[in-house]
Amino acid sequence: MTQFVAILKDSFREAVDGFVIYAMLGLSALVILIVGSASFEPVEPDKAFQSIAQRFNVHFPNKGASRVVSASLRNENKYAAQDVAAAGDGYKLRLTVKARSGTVTNDEHDPAGGDSFRKAVAAWAKPPGSTVKAADLAKSFGGKKGEEAAQNVPDIELSFERNATPEEQRAVTDADMAEFLVAQFRTHAGTSATVARAAGVAEPEYAFDVTAAGGAAVRGWPHKMEMFFGAVTVSEGTNLGQVLWIIEDRIINGLGAAVLLLIGVIITAFFIPNMMRKGSIDLMLSKPIGRTQLLVYKYVGGLTFVFLVTAFTVGGIWLVLAARSGYWDPGFLAVIPILTFQFAIVYALSALVAVVTRSAIAAMVLSIGFMLFLYVIGQVKTLFDVFRASPRPERVPDWAYNLVDGLNNVMPRYKDLDKLTTKMIADGTLTDAERIVPGLTAIDYPSWGATFGVSLAFIVLALVLASWRFRTRDQ
Amino acid sequence: MAVIETRDLRKTYGTLEALKGVSISVEPGQIYGLLGQNGAGKTTLIKILLGIVRKTAGEAELLGAPAGTVNVRRRVGYLPEDHQFPYYHTGRSLMDFYGQLYGVSPDDRKRKIPEALELVGIAGRMNSKIKTYSKGMKQRLGIAQALLHDPDLIILDEPTDGVDPMGRKEIRELMARLKDKGHTIFLNSHLLGEVELVCDRVAILQRGEVVREGTVAELTKATDKFRLRLGEGQAFPTDVVARLGYAVAPLAERPGTFEVTLASGQTIDPVVRLLVEGGLSLRELVEKKESLEDVFMKTVEGAEPGVDQKVRTVQQVQRVRAVGGEG
Ligand SMILES: Nc1ncnc2c1ncn2[C@@H]1O[C@H](COP(=O)(O)OP(=O)(O)OP(=O)(O)O)[C@@H](O)[C@H]1O
Ligand SMILES: [Mg+2]
Repeated sequence: MTQFVAILKDSFREAVDGFVIYAMLGLSALVILIVGSASFEPVEPDKAFQSIAQRFNVHFPNKGASRVVSASLRNENKYAAQDVAAAGDGYKLRLTVKARSGTVTNDEHDPAGGDSFRKAVAAWAKPPGSTVKAADLAKSFGGKKGEEAAQNVPDIELSFERNATPEEQRAVTDADMAEFLVAQFRTHAGTSATVARAAGVAEPEYAFDVTAAGGAAVRGWPHKMEMFFGAVTVSEGTNLGQVLWIIEDRIINGLGAAVLLLIGVIITAFFIPNMMRKGSIDLMLSKPIGRTQLLVYKYVGGLTFVFLVTAFTVGGIWLVLAARSGYWDPGFLAVIPILTFQFAIVYALSALVAVVTRSAIAAMVLSIGFMLFLYVIGQVKTLFDVFRASPRPERVPDWAYNLVDGLNNVMPRYKDLDKLTTKMIADGTLTDAERIVPGLTAIDYPSWGATFGVSLAFIVLALVLASWRFRTRDQ
Repeated sequence: MAVIETRDLRKTYGTLEALKGVSISVEPGQIYGLLGQNGAGKTTLIKILLGIVRKTAGEAELLGAPAGTVNVRRRVGYLPEDHQFPYYHTGRSLMDFYGQLYGVSPDDRKRKIPEALELVGIAGRMNSKIKTYSKGMKQRLGIAQALLHDPDLIILDEPTDGVDPMGRKEIRELMARLKDKGHTIFLNSHLLGEVELVCDRVAILQRGEVVREGTVAELTKATDKFRLRLGEGQAFPTDVVARLGYAVAPLAERPGTFEVTLASGQTIDPVVRLLVEGGLSLRELVEKKESLEDVFMKTVEGAEPGVDQKVRTVQQVQRVRAVGGEG
């Protein structure tokens, strides 16, 4: 244990000896400062609830359990929020719905039926019934425009409340309506609410007394966002979760992580070759420590170093983001271990190359090449999966599919780890609706087990090879 | 039990035979010197003992354990040749790092590190980065790190390399002190004068083979030659001495000094008596011994050439002879 700590400390000393680490920490501090300069100002409550209520025409069947997007094409129900007032930690308001009466489907009327609100509530409580793929629907609009639209719509299925029969609509109770609206507040705003139907309006109009818990720092609450301490207005009224998602996933987990990994690889590439230099290695090998142990300690030293830098950067951003926005998203912190694990994959290769070639440059170049290779494999695999699912799979020859699948199966799942962090961040910031409608939930997320298992196997293999080489060679 | 014991130790690098069956034994409390030309295999022998390179055949034991055993290295201090310390350490932090690897307790490290650095004379610079050290300072640091954990055996590969004459003397004294404290020292050196001064036993390695081995006294035995010098202005009675049956000749490099060589059975006493009785004043009487350097040179010359340089010299000699027609 003492030996491990000693080697860890030695690696740190080596890392902080160069200027790269200071450049990196400076960069991290700058990013934290920039993120900290962002201000999130919630839109006034009445406007915010108005905006949230507008989203209620979209719902997810099977009481929210289905990933099918259900909506009335014409926004038949007019939702409105009134008399918004602060109450305790949350708000009180009156939600009104103006429905169209006698609606069975979007085209048919049946005076004996209910109305468009009852239809929505009844359809929401049931499985989706007949559905259509968004892409097919877009194509059905015809022509070149339709084709283009089909390319751009997310990979989701739609349903249009056609399956709620007049009988079912008539059977909807006040409690059913309240349950539906509670679910809508959760789905579209990420807030919990209590809803009770209020008397005084005649159908097809409805009124509900709502209390919404939580302040303005909820996912679906529109915020005005400014950067650089108010110097630049970025958005006037985007949902808080959306903004956080873009910062956390697209900017930090995407771009920032790549930069961090790159610099991490560069700094740590020197650790093992420096130790193995002629004149240095004799000093180390004459100490009472086994070679495998020495190598593993050095490897873990590199990991710990990157872990701490990542923890500093991500943790710092997380803190200022939470402090500035009032929204605490622990999911973002998952970036720290996952990024470290991604680094562990690359660093295992770096260690192997370092032992075989004893060259820091070789270790660095090959690790970065390997990172790029894994990234490209992951990207191509994602693309091919889309091709395969599309109606024209003949675009790519079979052998190319097999090659990419094969590589993806045996290589560490570098890209999959990206996907999983993206999912974790999305789960922590976006409302259900914001994840389902753009098709984020329709993505086939890789399993944690396979992702970590295959990657871990790769790490172990690389280290076993490196250690074998290190042990069998004369120094 | 021997501290170092090798039996028919062999090492080949590819096709190069670096050690061809070396058997040596170092007893506790000795200072043992290993001599040999460049490339003779001295460093290779040490590296095998420490498990840095693997032996090809034969046996090597260190403190009773097979060479290369991890735990036995706890009891060994090592100064490698051509060492490169991690440049980012200071003298003190490096000692601390190595001390931790050797399992020296924090308290001991705190106390012993300044002490050890004091001993080798660089305590004043212990908080500077090693990259600012001079060559000799690094060498002194190397010695300090080999002593820190109070090892039973200290292996020094050319310990005085790059150290100034004053420092060399200090290092010799340090070794003598360590020996007094019961440490065993195994040392490689090219500085024969130095080895002669400190070592109890030496082995001469020639192209991977031990060609001479013994105590320094055994190797540098008397040569039956005496150097004599008389007082200022007095003439040496060469003829009289020669008539007594002694071989005598003036020493060209020291005017006024004569060398008397004893034949077997003779002693120098009759010559001394003759001079004193003849009213001459004897100023110098030295029994000439072979220095270790003489022994080494003779051994090495008799053997096969060790490195390229030597081969070229022989060829040059042959060429000169050919030109001179002596051929
Ligand atoms: N790693 C190696 N690979 C191949 N040959 C080696 C290796 N190390 C040493 N040798 C060879 O083994 C022989 C003995 O080398 P060694 O370093 O033991 O000599 P040495 O007696 O210590 O010489 P010096 O006095 O120059 O330090 C030399 O011919 C050398 O070239
Ligand atoms: Mg040597």
